[in-house]
Amino acid sequence: MIIETREFTRVEGNGKAEIVIEENEVKDVRVKIVEGPRFFELLTLGRDFWDVPDLEARICAICYLSHSVASVLAIERALGVEVPEKTELLRELGLIGELIESHSLHLYLLVAPDLFGYPDAIRLATKHGELVKEGIALKAFGNRIRDLIGGREIHGINVKPGGFGRWPGWEELEAIEREAKALLTVAKRAVRLFSGIGEYGGKAELFVATDGYLTGDSLISNVERNFHYFERIEERPLVYSFAKQSLYSGKPFLVGSLARLLLKAESLTPTAKRLFEENRERLEAGWVSYNNLAQAIELVYALERAGEIAKTLLDKGFEPENVPVEAGDGEGIGYVEAPRGVLVHHYRIAGGKIEYSNIITPTAFNHAMMEGALLWEARNLYGNAPEDELLRRLEETVRAFDPCISCSVHFVRG
Amino acid sequence: MKLGVFELTDCGGCALNFLFLYERLFDVLEFYEIEEFHMATSLEGKHFDVGLVTGTVSSHRDLEVLREARNRSDYLIALGTCATHGCLQASVELPLKEKLKAVYGDEGNPMRALDPKPVVEYVTVDLAIPGCPYDKNELFQALIDIAKGIEPVRPDYPVCLECKLNEYECVLVKKGLPCLGPITLGGCNAACPRSGLGCIGCRGPLPGEVNPAGEFEVLKGLGYDEEYIMRKFKTFARWGP
Ligand code: SF4
Ligand code: SF4
Repeated sequence: MIIETREFTRVEGNGKAEIVIEENEVKDVRVKIVEGPRFFELLTLGRDFWDVPDLEARICAICYLSHSVASVLAIERALGVEVPEKTELLRELGLIGELIESHSLHLYLLVAPDLFGYPDAIRLATKHGELVKEGIALKAFGNRIRDLIGGREIHGINVKPGGFGRWPGWEELEAIEREAKALLTVAKRAVRLFSGIGEYGGKAELFVATDGYLTGDSLISNVERNFHYFERIEERPLVYSFAKQSLYSGKPFLVGSLARLLLKAESLTPTAKRLFEENRERLEAGWVSYNNLAQAIELVYALERAGEIAKTLLDKGFEPENVPVEAGDGEGIGYVEAPRGVLVHHYRIAGGKIEYSNIITPTAFNHAMMEGALLWEARNLYGNAPEDELLRRLEETVRAFDPCISCSVHFVRG
Repeated sequence: MKLGVFELTDCGGCALNFLFLYERLFDVLEFYEIEEFHMATSLEGKHFDVGLVTGTVSSHRDLEVLREARNRSDYLIALGTCATHGCLQASVELPLKEKLKAVYGDEGNPMRALDPKPVVEYVTVDLAIPGCPYDKNELFQALIDIAKGIEPVRPDYPVCLECKLNEYECVLVKKGLPCLGPITLGGCNAACPRSGLGCIGCRGPLPGEVNPAGEFEVLKGLGYDEEYIMRKFKTFARWGP
């Protein structure tokens, strides 16, 4: 017998799950990504490198800037371009804005309704208007940063190889420093709210992240440091899904907020570090549902870090300065932490044109782990709880990954 | 009035952009009840006064969702360049079989993929709002107009005009950048030239009296090769000079 869930709601993109029951036992769970293929790598082949980040950004709207930055980093590495610290800081600020926008969307609008038993944030707002408004305020702030650095709230083209189209001005950075400070209290409240979340989705054992907090030169995990994705991670296509599955040394693994906190807590800002320490034991248990709590702690990190970056630039002073980028040959990988986990853009460039491209998104990395988490929940609940409760719990488990399904469906055969 | 939002294959941006109305979302909710919207609610509706569809038809599943959305909506809006013109995923020019093979490594099509096409090629829509993503003010205004029984206005000027109104420096003339502003439908308030960069044409071609052939010559004059220019023209809307 097969129980099929409906298409998941309150997640980005289209997917569902199938629970395979044999002899009254849960044998298997398949996560079917039904979002159609989007052929992004094919789209970039033969294109001028300069145009590529703007197109790759369209892979995903919730994290377009992560795609732009990963794409730009891969291009710069391939063409041997080094940018000054201020450029790196501003890019990080953009990624921080994206983290705020994405995490607040997920926590307040997609997950919070579950905590209070509502079908959505609109109905939740009838009783808890303040809470929803706080979420919206955070989201709007994150988007203001994306607009400033990325050029638009969604799919801006301002992040370019070597620098920016338009550089932010003095007052704009001052405003960011001010607003980040003001919103910190809101984020701290989010941590309190989400520390009440239950334990579900099974425990993850393997975690992968980039070596820097939001960008990196290589990957790290809880079993080894500094490796490239192709050395350890294997992708395989599935007959029942438009997204492929990745395994790390043959095993499922987790990327995203929880992985980042567990692997890189030493880089957190002061308040975020304190909140991490307070919750460390629970987070270390590895329950997938605690990815929500981890996101709330990262909101605190993001607001503190946004203020820090703005202040550093304002104190030091900076002049807009783009590094010229010449068309050439080379190969490069851009590693970025998108809000929901590790994102890889890998290109080979010949004569300024893209010759090979491979992109692996967080949801694709998490796909196998997601199936594992659903299998755990299904085994736990099947026969012990009514079917609608089982299905609801499965949906909540999927939601905890904060999957970005449309991201996950456009690989070239590696 | 009852509102439904349906997502086919896309980046999620056009659905998300609706949520980016922030507080104004509550103004929309004065007129509309959101009955179905997978990204935002677990409810499922039956019949809709207004339906919004985003994305391209890229699989049989998408086609079914689209037909359902059309059948159940009185007024259907194709929202965003994916839905109106096909956007990026429709611009990869290879037979579907070969594309799938390049991506998934075999010749089968177990998930029943279709060659990505805009929704307007399958059903009639009452309004098409392009943009990758569309401008959220445009959607806001359209929804309010429809609720009040007014037919929404459609912009009919190029991005170029918005640059002039904003007094942005012309990136085509001054910097020689390949800007599609003169032939692209305005309404984004010249977002990309604001960053000192050329318009990449995400809102699709300006309907009516435009001169793509002229633009083609201008870009050639600036030293861009024909293949490069053609690709630029085709990226979002599969059109040519
Ligand atoms: S038109 Fe652009 S923003 Fe809208 S769904 Fe398609 S790719 Fe995303
Ligand atoms: S300037 Fe062009 S590419 Fe940029 S948002 Fe407007 S229409 Fe789209």
